[in-house]
Amino acid sequence: QEVDMQAQADDIRTVFSHPTSFNVKHPLYSPWTLWFDSPATKGRNLPQTPISSFPQTPVPQTPSAAAAQGWMEDIKRVVSFDSVEEFWGLYNHIVPPSQLPQKANYYLFKEGIIPAWEDEANKNGGKWSIQLPKEKNRSQVDKMWLYTMLAAIGETFDPHLTSGEATEPNTQSLITGVIVSTRPQFYRLSIWTRLAPSGDEDKLRERIETVGRHFKINVLGYPETQKLAGPLATEVEFLSHKDSEKKGKAAKKLVI
Amino acid sequence: ASTTKKDISAPPPSALLTARVIENLSEVAYPEGIKSPKVELNANVRDGRFRYDRDFLMQFMHICKEKPPTLPALDVLGIEPVDQASFPMARGGSGRHRNASGA
Repeated sequence: QEVDMQAQADDIRTVFSHPTSFNVKHPLYSPWTLWFDSPATKGRNLPQTPISSFPQTPVPQTPSAAAAQGWMEDIKRVVSFDSVEEFWGLYNHIVPPSQLPQKANYYLFKEGIIPAWEDEANKNGGKWSIQLPKEKNRSQVDKMWLYTMLAAIGETFDPHLTSGEATEPNTQSLITGVIVSTRPQFYRLSIWTRLAPSGDEDKLRERIETVGRHFKINVLGYPETQKLAGPLATEVEFLSHKDSEKKGKAAKKLVI
Repeated sequence: ASTTKKDISAPPPSALLTARVIENLSEVAYPEGIKSPKVELNANVRDGRFRYDRDFLMQFMHICKEKPPTLPALDVLGIEPVDQASFPMARGGSGRHRNASGA
């Protein structure tokens, strides 16, 4: 058996030793899909991204699902990938946020989850987000978005997955997707979660807050105590999708 | 100490399409100077679902340059770079360039 393992090891060629003739690739925790929209994509019919092309997300014919369907017609599916090597191939060929038009969004979501709060995986969740004034952050936003994507695909946002408690078989990652938005005056980065704490769910709130803290400190690179709010800028804030719908009324925010 | 061999034959169209998925991270020996993924992230791995730290992932940045075979033409999707360098005050899309210089 040792001989077999040695023989197998000899036949393993990673991209590091064989950049074009590697024979193994590093699988991601989940497959991901990149989506894009901007005013320029509205009404463009090519290529079609019908909502029905997502078999893992059956669409019930409810008013909200119908609304999501309408919205999804303007959002374009770019590509799906499931390995580290493919992610970087995409990264090295796509336009970074700092070079996008003034009103555009990239949505990087787990395959089978559409980037809309109506999706089953998102409807009970919420999002961490930060808004950054454009002029001050133009040179930073590409790195911030890259690090956000790497924490998402590397699956390091949700510490619960590593802790001893996560050994039960059905532990699911909290993260469903990440978004970068460009607007005339600012950028926004968001992390979408599968669940949002309501009321007295202390365990879940702590888990969600750990995601926000990791985002602020390790991904965006701010000291934990730094205040970020200002003209066109917000703190790192969490809002459930249900509270977002209420448009500020009775919205309970978490702030890191 | 490099194990890289010059392959004289033309490379296959895309190793991405033929490479197999790593099932066990410990079967992989990385070249000298390349960090392995953080072990503690993968303490309880099931079904080859690995987690990777940023330092590990960043090492692929300048190596994986191949365009994904399934990536559509970006301009068809409306993904076109705006050249910020030439149009720092670009408004209303007037600063659009088909090819960003400076890249």
